[in-house]
Parts: sequence; C-alpha cells; structure tokens
Amino acid sequence: MFGFLKKKKSAKIAKDRLTIAIMSDRGQNVDYPFLEDLKKDILAVVKKYTEVKNITIRKEVELELEALSIEIELEK
Amino acid sequence: MGIVIAVISGKGGVGKTTAAANIGLGIAMNGKKCVVVDFDIGQRNLDMILGLENRVVYDIVQVMDKEVNIKQALIKSKSHDKFYFLAASQTKDKTVLNSKKVKELVDSLKEEFDFVILDSPAGIESGYEHTIEFADAAVVVVNPEVSSIRDADRAIGILDSKSQKVKDGGEVEKYLIINRIEPNMVKRGEMLNSKDILDILNINLLGKVPEDKAVIDASNQGKPIILDKSSKAGQAYFRIASRISGNSIEMVDVESETDGIFKKLTGIFK
Repeated sequence: MFGFLKKKKSAKIAKDRLTIAIMSDRGQNVDYPFLEDLKKDILAVVKKYTEVKNITIRKEVELELEALSIEIELEK
Repeated sequence: MGIVIAVISGKGGVGKTTAAANIGLGIAMNGKKCVVVDFDIGQRNLDMILGLENRVVYDIVQVMDKEVNIKQALIKSKSHDKFYFLAASQTKDKTVLNSKKVKELVDSLKEEFDFVILDSPAGIESGYEHTIEFADAAVVVVNPEVSSIRDADRAIGILDSKSQKVKDGGEVEKYLIINRIEPNMVKRGEMLNSKDILDILNINLLGKVPEDKAVIDASNQGKPIILDKSSKAGQAYFRIASRISGNSIEMVDVESETDGIFKKLTGIFK
C-alpha cells in the first residue's frame, strides 16, 4: 500500500545514471587537469629514495570504477 | 552577413527536422530573411515537413558541384516570402561533402540571408561534422529521455572540438530545445525536468516544446506546426524563433502546464 513511498522516482534514477554515464563518456577523451602536477610530485618523492627513469599515469575506466594506474620505472 | 545556425541532436528521431523547419519559418515570420538547408544527404525529409517535396528540382550537391547556381536551387516557401529552402540530395550519400565545398556554399548563403539554418543528419559522423564545421551557433534538440541526452552530449563534445570557430580560438554558442515534454509525467517525477537536463548538459535553454499530437497532423499535411497558432507546440516554436530573431520572450513553464480538471471534465463529454 505504501509502496509509492519507498519507490525512487524514475526521473531521479535517470538523472543519476546519466550523470555517471556522461562523466565517463567525457572522461574517455579528457585527462584530469592535475595529472602533470601529480606526476611532478611523485617524481620528487621517489627521487628522494632512488633514481627514476620514467613515470606513466594512466586513467582506467571500467563500468562505475575509475582508477589511476601509476607506473614507476626505476634506473638499474 | 547572416548568422549560421546548425540544428543538431546526436540521436535521430527527436524532432530535429521539425525544429529546423519551424525555427526557419518562425524567423521569417519575425521579419528576417531566412533559409533552411537540408544537410541530411541521402535521407532528405525537410522537404516533406515543409510541404515542398514537389517543388524540388535541384539539390545542395548540384549547387556545391557547380552544376547549377544557388538561385536555381533555392525554393521559396508558399507560406512566407522571406522563407527559402535548399534540398538535400536524395540519390547520393554524405561522403560527397567536403569542407571546401561546404564553406563555399555556407559563405554564399550568408551573403544573401539574415539567418542560415542547417538541418544536420543524425549521428556524429562526417555528415554531422560538415554541418557544424562553419556554424556560428548550434541549436541542440533533445527529448527528456536518457539516450537522447547522452547522444546530445557526444554531439556537443564534437562541436566543441571540430568547429572552425573553435579551431580559430573562438566559441560556438549552444542553445538547447527540450522537445516532447509530457508535463504530467514531469510532475509525477517520471520524466526528467528541464533543470536536470540543463545541469547534466551544462548548456543554455532556448525553449521547451510540449508533446503535441498536432505535430504529426501538421507533418502529414506538410504544414509546419508553427502555422497552427492554437497548437501548444506551434506556440512554443514561435517563441523559440522569436528569441533567435533577437526578441526577448519570457520562458513559459511548459512543464507545469497540465490539463486542468475543467478541461479533463469537458474531455469526457466530447
């Protein structure tokens, strides 16, 4: 009887789903603006301990999960 | 020098061609000389919506290939003497377009008209890219529905990266038309409202058009709905066209306009 109270309105569901989908659509082409700065900071920290050859940061999007994978190549 | 406006949507079937036809005619009704050009090569429909399909002799591709001059291909509307139409080619496909030809065509139309409205094909392929390439502004048409809004966002993304104006360091103005709004559904929270759509797409509102069965009736007859002054969609398109023509017209809250109980009651006795 009170089912209508519990049910989330479908327009709200549409908005939430669209917001996520569009963010990830846009994200596929655009990197985060802070990536270059992040790279510099990591480089500075790692350099304190060892020599760094290269750092690559990749953005990976899978379904609702978004992750940054950071690869630090060390000098031998 | 006229203003070039591309009518785009991403998804097909949302009312893009209907919007282009009515905006074009509405601009002429506002006293400006206007031409609508069908860029949907191979799938032309603007001629049908305008009721001009029997008057098409030459098309846009023949003009671009200089087989005929533009004056021969322009068709003057029956409903307004400031309103013209240029048909798409029905036999060729969109690969015949190239940037140089499109620019020449758009430039020559700009000299002749106050407003040049380009009706884009659906999708985001080359035909679409050529439509937006030399546009000063874009009118984006969506339905309050997830697939239409998502596709529109992709189309806007391409507009923002591939238009000549953006490449030259400028910005393409973008305006949204929300078409086929069902006020009763919005009220019940079963349809996205305009504020949500504008938030998601991050774009300015040009106008809201309610769902109106009279649109089908109008297209059956080839008489744009804007000529039916008693129809809600026709009134909405007239407001939209007036805004484009530079008049300040207040936004009507189409979404809260529901049929009152009085109207419902009289409906029973019809």
